[in-house]
Order: sequence, then structure tokens, then C-alpha cells
Amino acid sequence: MIRKLIQVEFLKSKRKGFWLLVFLGGFGVVALQMVNYGVRKEYLLQQSDNDWIYYLMNISNFTPLALVLGIAILTSFMTSIENETNAWKQLIALPVSKLTVYLAKFTVLAFMLLVASLLLTLFTYGYGVFLDLGAIPYGALLKYSFYPFFASLPILALQLWIATVSNNQAIPITTGVIGVLPSFSAQNLPDWLIWKWPSLMNSWNEPIYYVWLGLGVGCLLYFVGMFDFARRDVK
Amino acid sequence: MKYVVETKNLTKSFGKEQAVQSLDMKIAKGEIYGFLGPNGAGKTTTIRMLLGLMKPTSGSIQVFQQDLKKSRISILSKVGSLVENPSYYPHLTARENLEAWRKILGAPKSRITDVLAIVRLSDVANKKVKGFSLGMKQRLGIAAALLNNPELLILDEPTNGLDPSGIIEIRELIKQLPQSHGMTVLISSHLLSEIDQLATTVGVLTKGKLIFQDSIEAMRKLAKQNISLRVSDQDEAHRLLLAKGIQTDYQKDRLILSEFTDEEIANAIQFLVQKQIAIYRVEEEKRSLEDIFLQMTREDQVG
Repeated sequence: MIRKLIQVEFLKSKRKGFWLLVFLGGFGVVALQMVNYGVRKEYLLQQSDNDWIYYLMNISNFTPLALVLGIAILTSFMTSIENETNAWKQLIALPVSKLTVYLAKFTVLAFMLLVASLLLTLFTYGYGVFLDLGAIPYGALLKYSFYPFFASLPILALQLWIATVSNNQAIPITTGVIGVLPSFSAQNLPDWLIWKWPSLMNSWNEPIYYVWLGLGVGCLLYFVGMFDFARRDVK
Repeated sequence: MKYVVETKNLTKSFGKEQAVQSLDMKIAKGEIYGFLGPNGAGKTTTIRMLLGLMKPTSGSIQVFQQDLKKSRISILSKVGSLVENPSYYPHLTARENLEAWRKILGAPKSRITDVLAIVRLSDVANKKVKGFSLGMKQRLGIAAALLNNPELLILDEPTNGLDPSGIIEIRELIKQLPQSHGMTVLISSHLLSEIDQLATTVGVLTKGKLIFQDSIEAMRKLAKQNISLRVSDQDEAHRLLLAKGIQTDYQKDRLILSEFTDEEIANAIQFLVQKQIAIYRVEEEKRSLEDIFLQMTREDQVG
């Protein structure tokens, strides 16, 4: 059943511009560095001994911003498909469990973000090679592309929960936009704030902690959201 | 008797307000059950509970003799429904919309073409629903309800937004479903004329209470008859009948006798004939169901 529901979610996301957003998310972050390096490459190369790592750091400054913003937009698109004509009642009156409906939506969103992260890896790699920065640190490249994805799962779970249970779609948009702000000033914020996590900066200096925390807290928030959704009467 | 739908003491409250109060609804197999009531009586709330979209505050729901709470999914696989305004995905075509629901129902793909033909949307199957008229969207909703060839079809105000020819078309379609497909149909409406032409059984809901539930014939019997008389000398007839203890309602060109048995009417006429009054017309005036309905809902408000 879950496989069918996921196929249906992909069918419904047709012509909604989801994939364009996914592409723009991955490409946009690298495009900013294309401008940066295009304008002042000589200067930037003088800033550090390890040009590749310095380039990755520059990119990862903007990854959290794109991720958190992307999550806010994608989740609200996803629920707007049902909210627009109140199709929830049509969907839930079919022989499906509400838990599966919720899982399908979450899975599709997580998949889109994963694709965006993969695109980010490819574009980062491509432009890095073009800049000819020396030996390629594959480990660091993957780390800075995929760790933020796992670290942002709690935000995805929270946004999906808010977006599915809100009657007023201004609420999830607001929380989504407010969530973007911490990614600008991550170093000044406490470690427990989930919106800080995609930046991978923490007081232990161990980015991997946020991956585990992201998976754990993400699961927790996912289950809370799913059961709350199932408990409520359909609009 | 085995019922397709049976609710016991079904109640739903929103805060202090009781939208549905101890409803005992019984729908037998093969019936077209007309669910009648003014706007805001609780029809949609009841239907939402039957579909598991809302949880009852108290009471139980049995569909196909199974408890809805326990076997919701297996019940819903044999139910088709259209609740309130039609829901659809405007950016998808009619065919894609149906495909999205068909996949979940597991019905064969050919069924999409069938139901589109049934509701006469075959010509616009590949057009986006965004541009459809309300009537077309309503037909799409009915098509979706028929996708899985349901044993129980639940239609909430299905003729909303349809033009007269569309209404007749949908009515003819619904009428033949019990015989041709063995379906049981629950159809709600606030228009009695609609139910009158379709239903075999009627349930009347007002202010969350089921105040009548019986066959449509039983409801028609409630239509108490008036007999109107046209005679040669109305004043004289009126006076004579009154002297004999028979109350009549004196109107401009006729006398109205209400709530009399056949025998009493016969006696009254025989009496008039004996008194040399010529009888021109004896006519029965049936009260319309509309009147009964209004009276029922009004009585409930007073009581």
C-alpha cells in the first residue's frame, strides 16, 4: 500500500514545480560560489592552504539556508495539493490508513531533499574541478553535502506536522521563514535549537553528532506529527 | 433483518453543541435511502462519521455488519463516496485525478474509461480539472465514487451545481444502480422533491435528531387528505352540515372537509343529496410531501 501511495504522491506533484525547486536548491548554492570565485578567485585562493576545503566551507555557508527554506516551501506545496479543494476528505475516505498517507508525504519530501543534496554534491564537484583546486577530498565533499540533509530531518518533520494540521497556511509559512533566520547566525545559538543543526556547527566540533541527533529527533517529531494527524477529525 | 448500515445511539458534539444526537439509522441492502433535512441539520456530520472521517463522540457504527472502528479499511474498500463539495486536484486532468484514486483502490485501469463514460466526461478526460464547471467537477466526484464498483454508495448532495438536464441524468443513473449493480445508496439532500423521485426509504434529520425513518410510502400516507366539495348551494350545504355536526371549511367556491374517513365522507354526501343539493365535484386534495416535511421539522422545533 505504501508503495502505491508514494506513486500517487509523485503523480499529484506533477506540474507543481517541485523538481524545479529541487534543482534550484542544489544549483543555487553552488551558483553563489560561481559568482564569488568568478569575481575574486585570486584573492580567495590566497586565504587558505587547502583550497578545496576552503571552497567547501564557502559552499556550506549557504547550504543550511537553502535546505531550511526548501523544506518550508516544499512542505507547504505538498499540503496545499490537498488543502486547495479540501481533498483530504476524498483521500482519507479511501481504504487507506491515515498513518500511511502521512508516511507517503514524508517519504516523498525526504526523497526530494535527498535528490537536492545529490545535485549539490554533483555541482560542487563539477565547479571544484573546473576551478582546478588540487586533490579532491571526497570524504569532505560528501560530508558537507549530505550531513546537513540528515541534520535537517527534525525541521522537515516539524514543518510537515504544522502544515498538515493547520487550517491557516500562513502558520507553517511563518514558522518556516522564522526557521531560516537561525541559519544566518548559527554560531551564536544554543546547540539544542534544531534550526541550527544543518549548519553542522556545534560546541563539540563534531558534525556527525548532528547527523545522529537529526535522525533521532527527526524520528521522534515524525511520530508525534503522524499520530496527531491520525487522531484529528478530517477537515 | 441484515442492514448494510446500522448506527446505534450515534452522537457527535462539537464543544457544547450536539451536531448529531443519538442517531439510530438503518439502511437495508438494495435500498436508496434518502437522507433528508434542512441545511445544518447534521447530515454531512453523520456521513463523515460513516466514512470514518470523524470520530463519533459516542455510539457505534456498523457497516456490512462490521464495526467501523475495527475494520475501517476493509469496509471502505467496498464504499464509494462524494462528500459535500467535490474534491479534486485542479492541476491534473480528469483522467489523472481518477488515476490517483484508482491506484489506491486497486481497481482495474479500464474502469477509469468506464466511469468517465457513465458521467459523460469522456470528451474532456485529458483536460485539466481547473477549467471545469461546477457541474463537471460534481460529475467527476460521482465518477470517483463509482471507481471501485462499491456495494455502498454514499452521495452527499450529489446534484449540487448541476443543471436540470444534469440532475435528471444523475437521477436516472442513481435509480438504476440497485438493480443493475446490487448497490445500496445513501443520498442526502435538503430538497424533498429530489428524494421523492429517488428514494425507497427516507430518514428525516433535523437539529441532529432523526425524527422520521420509514419507507417513502409511509411518508406519503402521512399526507392527510382533504376533500373539496363543489355544490349548487354552498351556503345551504355549509349550514346543513354544521347542523348535523360536520365541520367544514368554507372557502370562496368550495367546501373543504379535512381528516375524514371514507365512510364519513360518504355519509356527508348522501345527506346533502337527500337535502336536494346538487353535487358538482368531489375532489381529493393531497398535501405535498413538501408540506409534511415542513410540518415535521416545524413540530420538532415547537416540541
